Amino acid sequence: MTLFDRVFGGNDAVYGLTEGAIDGAIAQYGEDKAVSFPNTAYSLPCYYAVTGTKVTTLKELKEALGVVKTLMTREKRLNDAFMSGVATALCAEFIEVLKYIDGATPYEEPCYGHLADAVIRELGVPLVTGDIPGVAVILGAAPTTEEGVALVKSYQAQGILVTLVGGIIDQVAEAGMKTGANVRVIPLGKDVTAVIHVVSVALRAALIFGNVKPGDAGTLMKYTMDRVPAFVNAFKPLDDVIVACGAGAIALGFPVVTNETENIFRVPKSLIVQEDVSKFNATSLEARDIKIKITNIDIPVAFASAFEGEIIRRKDMQVEFDGSRVDCAELVQTCDASEIEDHKITVVGPEVDDMELGSKNSIAYVVKVAGKNMQADFEPVIERKFHNYINCIEGVYHTGQRDMQRIRISIEAFNAGFKIKHIGEVLYASVKNEFDAVVDKCEVVIYTDPAECTRIRHEVAIPTFDKRDERLDTLTDESVDVYYSCILCQAFSPSHVCVVTPERLGLCGAVSWLDAKATHQLDPNGPCQIITKERPIDENLGSYEDVDEAVQKFSQGALEHVTLYSIMQDPMTSCGCFECICGIEPFSNGVVIANREYAGMTPLGMTFPEMASMTGGGVQTPGFMGHGKHFISSKKFMKAEGGIERIVWMPKELKEFVAERLNKTAQELYGIENFTDMIGDETVAEDPETLVAFLTEKGHPALGMDPMM
Amino acid sequence: MSEFKLTTVEEFEAATNRLLETGAKVGADAWQFRVKNQTPHCKFGEQGICCRICSMGPCRITPKAPRGICGCDAHGIVGRNFLRFTAGGAATHSDHGREICITLGHAKEGGDYQVKDPEKLIRIAKEWGVETEGKDIYDLAHEMSDLAQEEYGKIRGISRWLKRAPQHTQDLWHEAGIEPRAIDREVSCALHMTHMGNTCKPEALIRQALRNGLSDGWGGSMCGTEFSDVLFGTPKPIETEANLGVMNAENVNIVVHGHDPSLSEMICEVADSKEMIDYAKSMGAKGITISGVCCTSNEVAMRRGIPMAGNFLQQENVVLTGACEAIVVDVQCIFPALGPLSKCFHTKFITTSPICQMPDSEFIEFSAGAAGEKARQIVKLACENFKNRKPDLVYIPDMKQKATVGYSVEAIVKTLDGVTNSQVDETGTTKPLLECITSGVIRGAVAMVGCNNPKIRPDSAHIELMKKLLANDIVIIASGCSAQAAAKAGLMDKAAKDLCGAGLKRVCELADIPPVLHMGSCVDISRMLILASELAKDSGLNISQLPVVGCAPEWMSEKAVSIGNYVVATGLDTFLGVDPYVSGSDQVAGLLTEGVRDWVEAAYTVEKDIDKLGDLMIERIEEKRAALGI
Repeated sequence: MTLFDRVFGGNDAVYGLTEGAIDGAIAQYGEDKAVSFPNTAYSLPCYYAVTGTKVTTLKELKEALGVVKTLMTREKRLNDAFMSGVATALCAEFIEVLKYIDGATPYEEPCYGHLADAVIRELGVPLVTGDIPGVAVILGAAPTTEEGVALVKSYQAQGILVTLVGGIIDQVAEAGMKTGANVRVIPLGKDVTAVIHVVSVALRAALIFGNVKPGDAGTLMKYTMDRVPAFVNAFKPLDDVIVACGAGAIALGFPVVTNETENIFRVPKSLIVQEDVSKFNATSLEARDIKIKITNIDIPVAFASAFEGEIIRRKDMQVEFDGSRVDCAELVQTCDASEIEDHKITVVGPEVDDMELGSKNSIAYVVKVAGKNMQADFEPVIERKFHNYINCIEGVYHTGQRDMQRIRISIEAFNAGFKIKHIGEVLYASVKNEFDAVVDKCEVVIYTDPAECTRIRHEVAIPTFDKRDERLDTLTDESVDVYYSCILCQAFSPSHVCVVTPERLGLCGAVSWLDAKATHQLDPNGPCQIITKERPIDENLGSYEDVDEAVQKFSQGALEHVTLYSIMQDPMTSCGCFECICGIEPFSNGVVIANREYAGMTPLGMTFPEMASMTGGGVQTPGFMGHGKHFISSKKFMKAEGGIERIVWMPKELKEFVAERLNKTAQELYGIENFTDMIGDETVAEDPETLVAFLTEKGHPALGMDPMM
Repeated sequence: MSEFKLTTVEEFEAATNRLLETGAKVGADAWQFRVKNQTPHCKFGEQGICCRICSMGPCRITPKAPRGICGCDAHGIVGRNFLRFTAGGAATHSDHGREICITLGHAKEGGDYQVKDPEKLIRIAKEWGVETEGKDIYDLAHEMSDLAQEEYGKIRGISRWLKRAPQHTQDLWHEAGIEPRAIDREVSCALHMTHMGNTCKPEALIRQALRNGLSDGWGGSMCGTEFSDVLFGTPKPIETEANLGVMNAENVNIVVHGHDPSLSEMICEVADSKEMIDYAKSMGAKGITISGVCCTSNEVAMRRGIPMAGNFLQQENVVLTGACEAIVVDVQCIFPALGPLSKCFHTKFITTSPICQMPDSEFIEFSAGAAGEKARQIVKLACENFKNRKPDLVYIPDMKQKATVGYSVEAIVKTLDGVTNSQVDETGTTKPLLECITSGVIRGAVAMVGCNNPKIRPDSAHIELMKKLLANDIVIIASGCSAQAAAKAGLMDKAAKDLCGAGLKRVCELADIPPVLHMGSCVDISRMLILASELAKDSGLNISQLPVVGCAPEWMSEKAVSIGNYVVATGLDTFLGVDPYVSGSDQVAGLLTEGVRDWVEAAYTVEKDIDKLGDLMIERIEEKRAALGI
């Protein structure tokens, strides 16, 4: 049997099943029954991406199946095999969506099934920074549980996002391995059709970040091939259905590595037979051209970005350090090179061994750096990375910053031999690795002696933080000579350009003006370039000839004009990984802001994913704009339209997050006290009428402003 | 997104017509007019049934006169003519090869000619059982030069190169009695057999035609290719451009034309020197542009990225641009028309080889011993001629395409190494290509070769067939004027992947190759034999089982018939778009299209309907796949 016969046979089988399932569902529910996946603006995501047609009812699903049939041509050409693979994937999506009828929750812990749009938007930044260097799709059961778990762990240790389908899920569970999006191991489902949930992620990424037009299958497949670093590991036995799914994966540019040797054909860089499962990892990375940035740090536990989201529960904790209860601090200090002994790590005070199980302790670490190109402005940039560095340690958890950090070390890590000094090793290696252009020498002193911690916190750290805050306060768009471009996301969203100013950080929330400045210093030809601001066109709009020229250049001509302070006229574009999106609310002359984490409805009649789908991919959509959380309290937030006075609604959680700073800004700009009390949230209104009534009652200033359109 | 667009045959023709207008102003002749004068062609000649081997005739076979004066029938006459045609081609290729072997003998440290690929020389020496350890590379080169020349006249044994073929192929040759002996002997034998009063049995004539062909492909041509690589470097992928637009109106344009790289390499070397560039500037030009026509162009394009001005039927066009200071020719496929044509312009028509002497040319005899000096003389002459240009006659069609060329077998294997996975695959083999073929991602391969022939709208058959094959996921290896047609059209631009079926497109993307791979000049079809052999060895299949065929849709020269014979005799079905003057004998035609299959497992297909020719190739490839169950 040829490879094509197997693909066609598998496709026919799945098609038959799908047809039966849809007919069955119609018989049961009637053809007007609604079908959709939860928390996505792109229903059904794969079918929509490939054909440009949305499916909302069983009737439309049946029609869509007819369209799928047209893809199932049977010439002996690869295009036919590819399209049959795609058809198989679409059938899988149809079968899966039927499971969600009537808001059912077909997947239970540990399986995820369908993944929300928000998950994809969160993946954007780590994927472009290489923090997540790849996406593995593991299908079927490994020859043994040990081999399966070892494979999953090997990817996890490299920071690769692992999705699991079928027998491997039970193997991982049997071994007691922690799974979940936070540790980058996501069991999707046990049926082979569950694989569509990761395909759906790849295709939505193309729509969200790549501005691929739904229905433009050619561009879609080019996007996934060029920009989504996914690959498949399929364990034997491979039946025809899996082979057909494999054809779909290969069509999208994702190589398949298998240990199947029976009745299989080899295709270079695409379908690779590797009998030795222990070599799946190396084989797959080579096939997908994934390079792992190796940070060798001499510590007794793993260090990988996959552990960044790991949470240590109290019962699993050996000791903790808590800046909210005792004196703690983390600090970068620029010193003279002569004052520093490179790679010296000193612990002043007790080690973990000397601390009681479950105890709360003080910690303060000072990372001394020296370098010819080092500037004081880079201190907070480096310091803010400590959170990521320490979190990447397996069995160590970090939150907060400055003097408010909290660290937990797990019993497991402690038993593996993890010590306080290893935190020093991690900080040393990571700083030297990432900031090699500015840091020539680095020394770490870690204090656990409570008295020393008190001294460091109050006499060294807090004065430094105060000084920095003063500097930040004076750092306004007007007070600096240059802005920076950021095109970090172009790996994913080829025509998007961020213009980062002191009062407007990157929409992902991850790049402030200081970050951009440091990035430029670290890599002068890198993603952040200087944009001058010498030729203003309209200062109120924040439009500059210099800025326009820069965005034209960096977007390869896709964008012509961008304003910094307007959401109506040439608003800044988004890659798709924005923290928040705001959109105009016409009844109140205001804007509604939703954050990525918010899953509910907004008064615009749209959820976050639906609002987010209006923009992203480097496209300008007047009236909608993606931005970072911290931008909300900026004096420059939609200044051209009147500023923050326009904000009429935010999810409660977001409102609380920004309240202090937003109220301060409102106080300063308009003399309004407790402005956030005037802003609606989901507990007040999820529809415009109730919202306007609320705003009227509160006397919200937006109601009296000019209409925005 | 992509601005890539093929150049069409219509655009080629429009450019040619514009050039012919220039020609009309100066009273130039052109092949387009001479074709008209020569049409209709002699029917007896076309069918191969005119015999003028002795002076009793010429005898022509008709239903009323079925035998010549000596009694030879149509089958004997057609068969003899076919064999003589083959011998002409084999002699030509092989003698070119011999010249290269002689040049190798002149190579010396720091000399005009040097050994640029010593590894290859050592590899060949080892194949031939020559001791290489501790030997000076130039001593080895001279020893190999002698040995290679002896291949032409060895008194016993068969060609050394045959051992490169799979054992099965060697066995077939042995059983069929067609293993070539000394290269020159097979030509002599062919001429002897076809003398008045000798063989008139079609089977014996065709057998010798195959053997003589093999003495070319697995003899003289292989010497030419392999030792050219030793001397000038084994080609590897390199960017270049093709079509008349590569000529530069501000520069001294020197066009090299012919086949033997010994001359063109030296011209390129010299023209690249500061001394000559300064000299060109002193004559009012901005620099020197070398471009090429025909296979000498392929040679320097493959190794140096020198742009290709055009192929066989475009040779007059380069002069018609009015911007050609010198057209420097070595051997083969040179139109005698260039002499009178050059007189209509300022162009110097420079012949260099005693093999190719023509009226109305300046003869500067080129010899391996004084290569640099002669090349300098030629380049200087061209520079000095710049001032004689007539500006009002200058028109260079603004038409060219990008091309990635240089796919020797070694380069192909290296490219294939790039798609292996070091965790599972070995490198240095053709296996990745075989995997693409067996899995069906690529359906097969076609070797597109051969000339232009006014009997077919120039380049149209090459280009249309290629487009059709690419769309059907069939990868193309090309050489000679076929390769240049592809390059001019844009099919050697990597962007041409978008014209391919999904399978071949994916392969092009992963391997970063254009879908049509330029393997070199017509002599370099020997590379294709080696590639086929490697594919067979790596797959464990016979060459004839591989879904690979050869095609010469616009062929015209005797060399092409010799090539066809060795390609068929190597086990590759060969598809022709022009009849090789055998339609006058059903026995000879039957042998060529079917009979020889019993000996060598392959045969010819002749089909003048080019679209149908493409269908037949695809059909044959699919038949071979079906037989293998892939």
